[in-house]
Amino acid sequence: MKQPSPRALLGKLFGGSAKGIAVEKSLITGYAQVGGKAVCVIGTCNGTYIGNEAALVLAAHVIDCIERHPRTPIVMLVDSAGQEPNRLDEMLGLASYFGHLLSCLEVARRKGHKLITIATGKAIGGAFICYGMFADRIYALDSASVGLMPIAAMSAVTKIPAAVLQKLSKTMPSLEFGAEPFALLGGVEEVWPSKGDTQARLAKAIAAASADDNRAALGKKRGGRKLALDIRNRVLAESAK
Amino acid sequence: MTGTSLFHEQTARQRIAAVVDAGSFVELLPPPERLTSPYLAQLGIPVSFDDGIVIGKAKIGGKKLYIAAQVGQFVGGAVGEIHGAKLTGLFKAAARDRVPCALVIESGGVRLHEGSAGEIAITETMRAIFECRAKKVPTIAVIGSDIGAYGGIGILSTCCDFRVMTEHGRLGISGPIVIEKWMGKKAYDSSNRALVWKTSGGKTKYLLGDADALVHDDAGAVREAIGKLLAKSSPVTLKNAKARQAALAKRLKRFGKTENPDDVWKGMGVRDIAAASLASGPEFVALAKTGRK
Repeated sequence: MKQPSPRALLGKLFGGSAKGIAVEKSLITGYAQVGGKAVCVIGTCNGTYIGNEAALVLAAHVIDCIERHPRTPIVMLVDSAGQEPNRLDEMLGLASYFGHLLSCLEVARRKGHKLITIATGKAIGGAFICYGMFADRIYALDSASVGLMPIAAMSAVTKIPAAVLQKLSKTMPSLEFGAEPFALLGGVEEVWPSKGDTQARLAKAIAAASADDNRAALGKKRGGRKLALDIRNRVLAESAK
Repeated sequence: MTGTSLFHEQTARQRIAAVVDAGSFVELLPPPERLTSPYLAQLGIPVSFDDGIVIGKAKIGGKKLYIAAQVGQFVGGAVGEIHGAKLTGLFKAAARDRVPCALVIESGGVRLHEGSAGEIAITETMRAIFECRAKKVPTIAVIGSDIGAYGGIGILSTCCDFRVMTEHGRLGISGPIVIEKWMGKKAYDSSNRALVWKTSGGKTKYLLGDADALVHDDAGAVREAIGKLLAKSSPVTLKNAKARQAALAKRLKRFGKTENPDDVWKGMGVRDIAAASLASGPEFVALAKTGRK
Protein backbone atom coordinates (compact mmCIF):
# COMPACT_ATOMS: atom_id res chain seq x y z
CA MET A 1 0.00 0.00 0.00
CA LYS A 2 1.33 3.44 -0.90
CA GLN A 3 2.12 5.50 2.19
CA PRO A 4 0.91 9.12 2.38
CA SER A 5 3.53 11.82 2.94
CA PRO A 6 4.21 12.71 6.59
CA ARG A 7 2.44 16.05 6.17
CA ALA A 8 -0.59 14.45 4.53
CA LEU A 9 -0.78 11.94 7.35
CA LEU A 10 -0.51 14.63 10.05
CA GLY A 11 -3.24 16.62 8.26
CA LYS A 12 -5.45 13.57 8.28
CA LEU A 13 -4.91 12.95 11.98
CA PHE A 14 -4.93 16.53 13.28
CA GLY A 15 -6.59 18.63 10.55
CA GLY A 16 -5.52 22.27 10.40
CA SER A 17 -3.95 22.05 13.85
CA ALA A 18 -1.17 19.92 12.32
CA LYS A 19 0.63 23.17 11.50
CA GLY A 20 1.87 23.18 15.09
CA ILE A 21 3.82 19.99 14.49
CA ALA A 22 7.40 20.03 13.22
CA VAL A 23 8.86 17.31 11.02
CA GLU A 24 12.63 17.36 11.05
CA LYS A 25 15.00 14.56 10.08
CA SER A 26 11.96 12.25 10.01
CA LEU A 27 11.22 13.02 13.67
CA ILE A 28 7.86 14.46 14.64
CA THR A 29 7.43 16.83 17.60
CA GLY A 30 4.80 19.42 18.38
CA TYR A 31 1.36 20.24 19.67
CA ALA A 32 -1.98 19.96 17.92
CA GLN A 33 -5.66 19.52 18.64
CA VAL A 34 -7.96 16.54 18.62
CA GLY A 35 -11.68 17.13 19.02
CA GLY A 36 -10.95 20.71 20.08
CA LYS A 37 -8.57 19.62 22.86
CA ALA A 38 -4.80 20.05 22.95
CA VAL A 39 -2.51 17.07 22.44
CA CYS A 40 1.26 16.67 22.38
CA VAL A 41 2.64 14.73 19.43
CA ILE A 42 5.89 12.81 19.14
CA GLY A 43 6.92 10.28 16.56
CA THR A 44 8.82 9.04 13.56
CA CYS A 45 8.03 9.01 9.84
CA ASN A 46 9.44 7.88 6.49
CA GLY A 47 10.36 4.53 8.07
CA THR A 48 13.45 6.24 9.48
CA TYR A 49 16.13 4.64 11.62
CA ILE A 50 16.40 5.94 15.15
CA GLY A 51 19.40 6.18 17.41
CA ASN A 52 20.71 8.06 20.43
CA GLU A 53 20.09 11.51 18.97
CA ALA A 54 16.48 10.70 17.97
CA ALA A 55 15.71 9.27 21.42
CA LEU A 56 16.91 12.53 23.01
CA VAL A 57 14.83 14.69 20.66
CA LEU A 58 11.66 12.76 21.46
CA ALA A 59 12.45 12.61 25.19
CA ALA A 60 13.06 16.38 25.27
CA HIS A 61 9.63 16.98 23.80
CA VAL A 62 7.98 14.69 26.36
CA ILE A 63 9.74 16.64 29.12
CA ASP A 64 8.60 19.92 27.54
CA CYS A 65 5.02 18.67 27.53
CA ILE A 66 5.15 17.58 31.19
CA GLU A 67 6.58 20.94 32.25
CA ARG A 68 4.53 23.30 30.13
CA HIS A 69 1.30 21.42 29.40
CA PRO A 70 0.35 19.35 32.45
CA ARG A 71 -1.89 16.35 31.82
CA THR A 72 -2.07 16.98 28.06
CA PRO A 73 -2.46 13.65 26.25
CA ILE A 74 0.59 12.50 24.29
CA VAL A 75 0.00 10.94 20.87
CA MET A 76 2.88 8.81 19.59
CA LEU A 77 3.18 8.07 15.89
CA VAL A 78 5.36 5.17 14.81
CA ASP A 79 6.90 4.75 11.36
CA SER A 80 10.44 3.57 11.95
CA ALA A 81 12.60 0.65 10.88
CA GLY A 82 14.15 0.60 14.34
CA GLN A 83 17.71 1.10 15.41
CA GLU A 84 20.30 1.14 12.68
CA PRO A 85 22.99 -1.34 13.71
CA ASN A 86 25.76 1.05 14.62
CA ARG A 87 28.84 0.55 16.77
CA LEU A 88 29.16 4.14 17.98
CA ASP A 89 25.55 4.37 19.16
CA GLU A 90 25.97 1.02 20.89
CA MET A 91 29.21 2.10 22.55
CA LEU A 92 27.55 5.20 23.98
CA GLY A 93 24.61 3.19 25.28
CA LEU A 94 21.76 3.05 22.75
CA ALA A 95 19.76 0.87 25.15
CA SER A 96 20.14 3.56 27.83
CA TYR A 97 18.95 6.29 25.47
CA PHE A 98 15.86 4.25 24.64
CA GLY A 99 15.37 3.42 28.33
CA HIS A 100 15.53 7.14 29.10
CA LEU A 101 12.78 7.85 26.54
CA LEU A 102 10.65 5.18 28.20
CA SER A 103 11.34 6.68 31.64
CA CYS A 104 10.23 10.11 30.44
CA LEU A 105 7.00 8.60 29.13
CA GLU A 106 6.51 6.88 32.49
CA VAL A 107 6.93 10.20 34.30
CA ALA A 108 4.26 11.62 31.98
CA ARG A 109 1.92 8.71 32.66
CA ARG A 110 2.33 9.07 36.43
CA LYS A 111 1.62 12.77 36.17
CA GLY A 112 -1.69 12.14 34.45
CA HIS A 113 -0.84 12.40 30.75
CA LYS A 114 -2.70 9.83 28.69
CA LEU A 115 -0.45 8.02 26.20
CA ILE A 116 -1.87 6.90 22.86
CA THR A 117 0.10 5.26 20.06
CA ILE A 118 -0.85 5.03 16.41
CA ALA A 119 1.33 2.77 14.28
CA THR A 120 1.21 4.66 11.01
CA GLY A 121 3.90 2.94 8.96
CA LYS A 122 6.69 0.62 9.99
CA ALA A 123 6.31 -0.51 13.59
CA ILE A 124 8.85 -3.27 13.67
CA GLY A 125 10.87 -4.81 16.49
CA GLY A 126 12.96 -2.31 18.47
CA ALA A 127 11.31 0.71 16.85
CA PHE A 128 8.01 -0.25 18.38
CA ILE A 129 9.49 -1.34 21.72
CA CYS A 130 11.38 1.87 22.42
CA TYR A 131 8.31 4.10 22.75
CA GLY A 132 5.14 3.10 20.84
CA MET A 133 4.41 -0.09 22.75
CA PHE A 134 4.70 1.80 26.02
CA ALA A 135 1.42 3.67 25.49
CA ASP A 136 -1.71 3.19 27.57
CA ARG A 137 -3.54 2.13 24.42
CA ILE A 138 -2.03 1.23 21.05
CA TYR A 139 -3.76 1.56 17.69
CA ALA A 140 -2.61 0.84 14.14
CA LEU A 141 -3.68 1.97 10.70
CA ASP A 142 -4.55 -0.99 8.50
CA SER A 143 -1.78 0.13 6.14
CA ALA A 144 0.89 -0.13 8.88
CA SER A 145 3.53 -2.86 9.00
CA VAL A 146 3.27 -4.12 12.56
CA GLY A 147 5.08 -7.04 14.12
CA LEU A 148 8.41 -8.48 15.12
CA MET A 149 9.51 -9.10 11.54
CA PRO A 150 8.11 -10.36 8.23
CA ILE A 151 8.12 -14.13 7.73
CA ALA A 152 10.93 -13.99 5.14
CA ALA A 153 13.22 -12.28 7.66
CA MET A 154 12.20 -14.67 10.43
CA SER A 155 12.96 -17.59 8.13
CA ALA A 156 16.38 -16.17 7.24
CA VAL A 157 17.38 -15.84 10.89
CA THR A 158 15.84 -19.00 12.33
CA LYS A 159 16.68 -21.17 9.26
CA ILE A 160 13.11 -22.49 9.35
CA PRO A 161 11.67 -22.63 5.80
CA ALA A 162 9.32 -19.72 5.07
CA ALA A 163 6.66 -22.15 3.85
CA VAL A 164 6.61 -23.85 7.26
CA LEU A 165 6.27 -20.52 9.09
CA GLN A 166 3.61 -19.39 6.61
CA LYS A 167 1.56 -22.51 7.22
CA LEU A 168 1.89 -22.29 11.01
CA SER A 169 0.98 -18.61 11.01
CA LYS A 170 -2.56 -19.59 9.98
CA THR A 171 -3.11 -21.03 13.44
CA MET A 172 -0.48 -18.95 15.27
CA PRO A 173 -1.06 -15.26 14.52
CA SER A 174 2.06 -14.41 16.50
CA LEU A 175 4.13 -15.61 13.53
CA GLU A 176 2.15 -13.59 11.02
CA PHE A 177 3.20 -10.06 10.21
CA GLY A 178 0.69 -7.20 10.17
CA ALA A 179 -1.65 -5.03 12.21
CA GLU A 180 -4.55 -7.52 12.28
CA PRO A 181 -2.61 -10.50 13.65
CA PHE A 182 -0.88 -8.17 16.13
CA ALA A 183 -4.34 -7.11 17.33
CA LEU A 184 -5.27 -10.79 17.84
CA LEU A 185 -2.34 -10.97 20.29
CA GLY A 186 -3.72 -7.97 22.16
CA GLY A 187 -0.73 -5.88 21.08
CA VAL A 188 -3.02 -3.46 19.29
CA GLU A 189 -6.36 -2.38 20.73
CA GLU A 190 -7.98 -1.72 17.37
CA VAL A 191 -6.98 -1.48 13.71
CA TRP A 192 -8.21 1.65 11.98
CA PRO A 193 -9.07 1.82 8.28
CA SER A 194 -6.70 4.34 6.66
CA LYS A 195 -9.56 5.79 4.68
CA GLY A 196 -11.82 6.24 7.71
CA ASP A 197 -12.37 9.18 10.06
CA THR A 198 -9.21 8.86 12.12
CA GLN A 199 -9.76 12.19 13.90
CA ALA A 200 -12.99 10.97 15.45
CA ARG A 201 -11.41 7.62 16.30
CA LEU A 202 -8.42 9.32 17.93
CA ALA A 203 -10.66 11.61 20.01
CA LYS A 204 -12.59 8.58 21.23
CA ALA A 205 -9.38 6.67 21.93
CA ILE A 206 -7.98 9.50 24.05
CA ALA A 207 -11.20 9.79 26.03
CA ALA A 208 -11.29 6.04 26.69
CA ALA A 209 -7.60 5.52 27.49
CA SER A 210 -6.66 3.98 30.80
CA ALA A 211 -3.21 3.22 32.16
CA ASP A 212 -3.95 -0.42 33.02
CA ASP A 213 -2.08 -2.73 30.70
CA ASN A 214 -4.94 -4.80 29.19
CA ARG A 215 -2.95 -6.51 26.44
CA ALA A 216 -2.59 -9.99 27.93
CA ALA A 217 -6.33 -10.09 28.68
CA LEU A 218 -7.12 -8.93 25.14
CA GLY A 219 -4.76 -11.53 23.66
CA LYS A 220 -6.55 -14.27 25.57
CA LYS A 221 -10.01 -13.02 24.67
CA ARG A 222 -9.12 -12.73 21.00
CA GLY A 223 -7.39 -16.10 21.02
CA GLY A 224 -4.06 -14.98 19.58
CA ARG A 225 -2.06 -15.20 22.79
CA LYS A 226 -3.72 -17.77 24.97
CA LEU A 227 -1.11 -18.42 27.67
CA ALA A 228 0.32 -15.09 28.82
CA LEU A 229 -2.47 -13.94 31.13
CA ASP A 230 -2.99 -17.31 32.85
CA ILE A 231 0.72 -17.84 33.47
CA ARG A 232 1.13 -14.34 34.86
CA ASN A 233 -1.85 -14.95 37.16
CA ARG A 234 -0.44 -18.27 38.31
CA VAL A 235 2.81 -16.55 39.28
CA LEU A 236 0.79 -13.95 41.19
CA ALA A 237 -1.31 -16.61 42.95
CA GLU A 238 1.56 -18.92 43.85
CA SER A 239 3.86 -16.15 45.03
CA ALA A 240 1.15 -15.02 47.45
CA LYS A 241 1.07 -18.42 49.20
CA MET B 1 34.87 -13.75 46.64
CA THR B 2 33.85 -17.36 47.07
CA GLY B 3 36.49 -18.56 44.67
CA THR B 4 34.43 -21.61 43.70
CA SER B 5 33.52 -20.86 40.09
CA LEU B 6 33.11 -18.05 37.64
CA PHE B 7 29.65 -16.45 37.51
CA HIS B 8 29.56 -16.46 33.72
CA GLU B 9 30.20 -20.20 33.63
CA GLN B 10 27.34 -21.06 35.97
CA THR B 11 23.85 -22.16 34.93
CA ALA B 12 20.76 -20.14 35.86
CA ARG B 13 19.92 -22.35 38.86
CA GLN B 14 23.52 -22.42 40.04
CA ARG B 15 23.65 -18.64 39.83
CA ILE B 16 20.54 -18.19 41.94
CA ALA B 17 21.70 -20.79 44.48
CA ALA B 18 25.10 -19.11 44.76
CA VAL B 19 23.72 -15.57 45.03
CA VAL B 20 20.93 -16.02 47.62
CA ASP B 21 21.04 -17.21 51.25
CA ALA B 22 21.66 -20.96 51.37
CA GLY B 23 18.44 -22.94 51.09
CA SER B 24 16.24 -19.84 50.85
CA PHE B 25 15.17 -20.16 47.20
CA VAL B 26 11.64 -21.34 46.48
CA GLU B 27 11.01 -21.71 42.76
CA LEU B 28 7.65 -20.64 41.35
CA LEU B 29 6.18 -22.64 38.45
CA PRO B 30 9.13 -25.07 38.65
CA PRO B 31 9.96 -27.60 35.88
CA PRO B 32 7.54 -30.29 37.17
CA GLU B 33 4.76 -27.93 36.05
CA ARG B 34 5.97 -28.55 32.49
CA LEU B 35 5.09 -25.19 31.04
CA THR B 36 6.45 -25.61 27.54
CA SER B 37 6.27 -23.48 24.43
CA PRO B 38 3.58 -24.60 21.96
CA TYR B 39 5.39 -22.61 19.25
CA LEU B 40 8.63 -24.56 19.57
CA ALA B 41 6.70 -27.84 19.73
CA GLN B 42 4.96 -27.02 16.45
CA LEU B 43 8.28 -26.15 14.85
CA GLY B 44 9.83 -29.42 16.00
CA ILE B 45 12.35 -27.63 18.24
CA PRO B 46 13.11 -29.08 21.69
CA VAL B 47 11.15 -27.44 24.50
CA SER B 48 12.16 -26.82 28.11
CA PHE B 49 10.02 -27.42 31.19
CA ASP B 50 10.82 -23.95 32.52
CA ASP B 51 10.76 -22.23 29.11
CA GLY B 52 14.22 -20.87 29.73
CA ILE B 53 13.65 -18.88 32.89
CA VAL B 54 13.87 -19.73 36.57
CA ILE B 55 11.76 -17.54 38.88
CA GLY B 56 11.08 -17.57 42.59
CA LYS B 57 11.48 -16.02 46.01
CA ALA B 58 14.55 -16.03 48.19
CA LYS B 59 16.55 -14.03 50.72
CA ILE B 60 19.86 -12.22 50.62
CA GLY B 61 21.33 -11.37 54.01
CA GLY B 62 17.97 -12.28 55.52
CA LYS B 63 16.11 -9.77 53.33
CA LYS B 64 13.35 -11.01 51.07
CA LEU B 65 13.57 -10.64 47.33
CA TYR B 66 12.06 -12.02 44.16
CA ILE B 67 14.66 -13.30 41.75
CA ALA B 68 14.72 -14.61 38.18
CA ALA B 69 17.51 -16.04 36.05
CA GLN B 70 17.42 -16.64 32.33
CA VAL B 71 18.75 -19.90 30.90
CA GLY B 72 21.17 -19.04 28.12
CA GLN B 73 21.59 -22.67 27.04
CA PHE B 74 17.94 -22.74 25.98
CA VAL B 75 17.41 -20.81 22.70
CA GLY B 76 19.87 -18.19 23.86
CA GLY B 77 17.72 -17.16 26.81
CA ALA B 78 15.35 -15.54 24.35
CA VAL B 79 11.93 -14.38 25.49
CA GLY B 80 8.88 -16.30 24.33
CA GLU B 81 5.27 -16.03 25.49
CA ILE B 82 5.62 -18.22 28.61
CA HIS B 83 9.12 -16.99 29.51
CA GLY B 84 7.90 -13.39 29.30
CA ALA B 85 4.67 -14.06 31.21
CA LYS B 86 6.63 -15.63 34.09
CA LEU B 87 8.82 -12.56 34.24
CA THR B 88 5.92 -10.12 34.05
CA GLY B 89 4.15 -12.02 36.84
CA LEU B 90 7.25 -11.90 39.01
CA PHE B 91 7.68 -8.13 38.74
CA LYS B 92 3.96 -7.65 39.33
CA ALA B 93 4.22 -9.82 42.45
CA ALA B 94 7.18 -7.70 43.56
CA ALA B 95 5.15 -4.52 43.13
CA ARG B 96 2.16 -6.00 44.97
CA ASP B 97 4.25 -7.29 47.90
CA ARG B 98 6.70 -4.36 47.89
CA VAL B 99 9.59 -6.82 47.76
CA PRO B 100 12.68 -6.02 45.63
CA CYS B 101 13.13 -7.97 42.40
CA ALA B 102 16.40 -8.98 40.71
CA LEU B 103 16.74 -10.37 37.20
CA VAL B 104 19.89 -12.27 36.27
CA ILE B 105 20.00 -11.67 32.53
CA GLU B 106 21.29 -13.99 29.84
CA SER B 107 19.33 -13.20 26.69
CA GLY B 108 19.60 -11.98 23.13
CA GLY B 109 16.07 -10.53 23.34
CA VAL B 110 12.86 -11.68 21.67
CA ARG B 111 12.58 -15.39 20.76
CA LEU B 112 12.16 -15.12 17.00
CA HIS B 113 10.46 -18.53 16.76
CA GLU B 114 7.50 -17.12 18.65
CA GLY B 115 7.19 -13.97 16.59
CA SER B 116 5.45 -10.96 18.04
CA ALA B 117 4.27 -12.71 21.24
CA GLY B 118 7.73 -12.37 22.80
CA GLU B 119 7.99 -8.76 21.69
CA ILE B 120 4.74 -7.86 23.44
CA ALA B 121 5.79 -9.86 26.51
CA ILE B 122 8.96 -7.80 26.90
CA THR B 123 6.97 -4.57 26.88
CA GLU B 124 4.51 -6.01 29.40
CA THR B 125 7.43 -6.80 31.69
CA MET B 126 8.70 -3.23 31.24
CA ARG B 127 5.31 -1.94 32.39
CA ALA B 128 5.49 -4.25 35.43
CA ILE B 129 9.03 -2.99 36.23
CA PHE B 130 7.74 0.58 36.25
CA GLU B 131 4.88 -0.53 38.54
CA CYS B 132 7.59 -1.53 41.01
CA ARG B 133 9.42 1.74 40.52
CA ALA B 134 6.29 3.82 41.12
CA LYS B 135 6.12 2.15 44.54
CA LYS B 136 9.86 2.59 45.13
CA VAL B 137 10.33 -1.19 45.05
CA PRO B 138 13.93 -1.74 43.89
CA THR B 139 14.45 -3.53 40.57
CA ILE B 140 17.93 -4.79 39.75
CA ALA B 141 19.31 -6.22 36.50
CA VAL B 142 22.41 -8.40 36.75
CA ILE B 143 24.42 -8.63 33.53
CA GLY B 144 27.36 -11.00 33.68
CA SER B 145 26.81 -13.82 31.23
CA ASP B 146 28.37 -14.88 27.94
CA ILE B 147 25.29 -13.96 25.94
CA GLY B 148 24.81 -10.64 27.68
CA ALA B 149 21.71 -8.43 27.57
CA TYR B 150 20.76 -7.64 23.98
CA GLY B 151 17.76 -6.67 21.89
CA GLY B 152 14.59 -5.93 23.81
CA ILE B 153 16.16 -7.34 26.98
CA GLY B 154 18.99 -4.80 26.68
CA ILE B 155 16.36 -2.05 26.64
CA LEU B 156 14.42 -3.73 29.46
CA SER B 157 17.53 -3.79 31.65
CA THR B 158 17.76 -0.01 31.37
CA CYS B 159 14.21 0.28 32.73
CA CYS B 160 15.34 -1.19 36.08
CA ASP B 161 16.52 1.03 38.95
CA PHE B 162 20.02 -0.46 38.86
CA ARG B 163 22.34 -2.56 36.71
CA VAL B 164 25.03 -4.72 38.27
CA MET B 165 27.60 -5.83 35.70
CA THR B 166 30.72 -7.95 35.73
CA GLU B 167 33.64 -7.26 33.42
CA HIS B 168 32.35 -10.24 31.47
CA GLY B 169 28.84 -8.88 30.91
CA ARG B 170 27.70 -6.97 27.84
CA LEU B 171 24.79 -4.60 27.40
CA GLY B 172 23.41 -3.40 24.07
CA ILE B 173 20.70 -3.77 21.46
CA SER B 174 22.35 -4.97 18.24
CA GLY B 175 25.09 -7.54 18.77
CA PRO B 176 28.52 -7.36 17.08
CA ILE B 177 27.73 -9.88 14.32
CA VAL B 178 24.63 -7.95 13.24
CA ILE B 179 26.54 -4.68 13.20
CA GLU B 180 29.43 -6.17 11.27
CA LYS B 181 26.97 -7.49 8.68
CA TRP B 182 25.42 -4.04 8.41
CA MET B 183 28.49 -1.77 8.50
CA GLY B 184 31.19 -4.07 7.21
CA LYS B 185 34.16 -5.72 8.90
CA LYS B 186 36.21 -2.54 8.62
CA ALA B 187 33.78 -0.60 10.80
CA TYR B 188 33.22 -3.40 13.30
CA ASP B 189 35.17 -6.64 13.34
CA SER B 190 33.04 -8.92 15.51
CA SER B 191 35.97 -11.28 16.05
CA ASN B 192 37.96 -8.50 17.72
CA ARG B 193 37.03 -9.40 21.28
CA ALA B 194 38.77 -6.41 22.83
CA LEU B 195 36.76 -4.04 20.61
CA VAL B 196 33.51 -5.92 21.25
CA TRP B 197 33.98 -5.72 25.02
CA LYS B 198 35.05 -2.08 24.94
CA THR B 199 31.91 -1.33 22.90
CA SER B 200 29.34 -3.13 25.03
CA GLY B 201 31.19 -4.60 28.01
CA GLY B 202 30.77 -3.84 31.69
CA LYS B 203 33.81 -1.58 31.99
CA THR B 204 32.64 0.91 29.35
CA LYS B 205 29.06 0.80 30.65
CA TYR B 206 30.28 1.46 34.19
CA LEU B 207 32.51 4.28 33.06
CA LEU B 208 29.65 6.01 31.24
CA GLY B 209 27.32 5.52 34.20
CA ASP B 210 24.96 2.96 32.66
CA ALA B 211 26.07 0.23 35.05
CA ASP B 212 25.76 1.12 38.73
CA ALA B 213 28.21 -1.51 39.96
CA LEU B 214 31.04 -3.36 38.27
CA VAL B 215 32.01 -6.45 40.18
CA HIS B 216 34.20 -9.50 39.85
CA ASP B 217 32.95 -12.42 37.76
CA ASP B 218 31.94 -14.28 40.89
CA ALA B 219 28.60 -15.13 42.54
CA GLY B 220 29.75 -13.85 45.94
CA ALA B 221 30.58 -10.46 44.47
CA VAL B 222 27.25 -10.32 42.63
CA ARG B 223 25.46 -11.25 45.87
CA GLU B 224 27.19 -8.47 47.74
CA ALA B 225 26.31 -5.92 45.04
CA ILE B 226 22.62 -6.93 44.99
CA GLY B 227 22.53 -6.88 48.79
CA LYS B 228 23.76 -3.27 48.85
CA LEU B 229 21.01 -2.16 46.43
CA LEU B 230 18.05 -3.88 48.10
CA ALA B 231 17.26 -0.88 50.28
CA LYS B 232 17.78 1.74 47.57
CA SER B 233 15.71 2.96 44.65
CA SER B 234 16.05 5.40 41.79
CA PRO B 235 12.70 7.20 41.61
CA VAL B 236 11.13 7.96 38.22
CA THR B 237 10.64 11.69 38.62
CA LEU B 238 10.68 14.71 36.35
CA LYS B 239 13.76 16.00 38.15
CA ASN B 240 15.66 12.76 37.53
CA ALA B 241 14.46 12.58 33.92
CA LYS B 242 15.75 16.11 33.28
CA ALA B 243 19.11 15.35 34.87
CA ARG B 244 19.40 12.19 32.79
CA GLN B 245 18.46 14.09 29.61
CA ALA B 246 21.26 16.57 30.29
CA ALA B 247 23.77 13.81 31.06
CA LEU B 248 22.94 11.79 27.95
CA ALA B 249 23.06 14.92 25.76
CA LYS B 250 26.46 15.79 27.19
CA ARG B 251 27.72 12.26 26.53
CA LEU B 252 26.58 12.42 22.92
CA LYS B 253 28.15 15.83 22.42
CA ARG B 254 31.47 14.71 23.87
CA PHE B 255 31.79 11.29 22.30
CA GLY B 256 29.25 11.15 19.45
CA LYS B 257 31.99 11.09 16.83
CA THR B 258 34.57 9.15 18.80
CA GLU B 259 35.50 5.98 16.92
CA ASN B 260 37.98 4.46 19.34
CA PRO B 261 36.62 3.29 22.69
CA ASP B 262 40.06 3.94 24.22
CA ASP B 263 39.43 7.64 23.59
CA VAL B 264 36.14 7.39 25.50
CA TRP B 265 38.02 5.73 28.37
CA LYS B 266 40.66 8.46 28.29
CA GLY B 267 37.98 11.14 28.09
CA MET B 268 36.38 9.63 31.18
CA GLY B 269 39.65 9.86 33.08
CA VAL B 270 41.27 6.45 32.61
CA ARG B 271 44.99 7.18 32.32
CA ASP B 272 46.56 3.78 31.78
CA ILE B 273 44.50 2.05 29.07
CA ALA B 274 46.66 -1.11 29.03
CA ALA B 275 46.35 -1.58 32.79
CA ALA B 276 42.63 -0.81 32.73
CA SER B 277 42.07 -3.33 29.93
CA LEU B 278 43.59 -6.11 32.00
CA ALA B 279 42.06 -5.03 35.30
CA SER B 280 39.35 -7.05 37.03
CA GLY B 281 36.03 -5.33 37.67
CA PRO B 282 36.89 -3.98 41.13
CA GLU B 283 40.40 -2.98 40.02
CA PHE B 284 38.89 -1.07 37.12
CA VAL B 285 36.46 0.68 39.46
CA ALA B 286 39.43 1.88 41.49
CA LEU B 287 41.23 3.08 38.34
CA ALA B 288 38.10 4.79 37.03
CA LYS B 289 37.11 6.55 40.23
CA THR B 290 38.01 10.03 39.11
CA GLY B 291 36.69 9.67 35.57
CA ARG B 292 33.18 8.66 36.47
CA LYS B 293 32.34 11.83 38.40
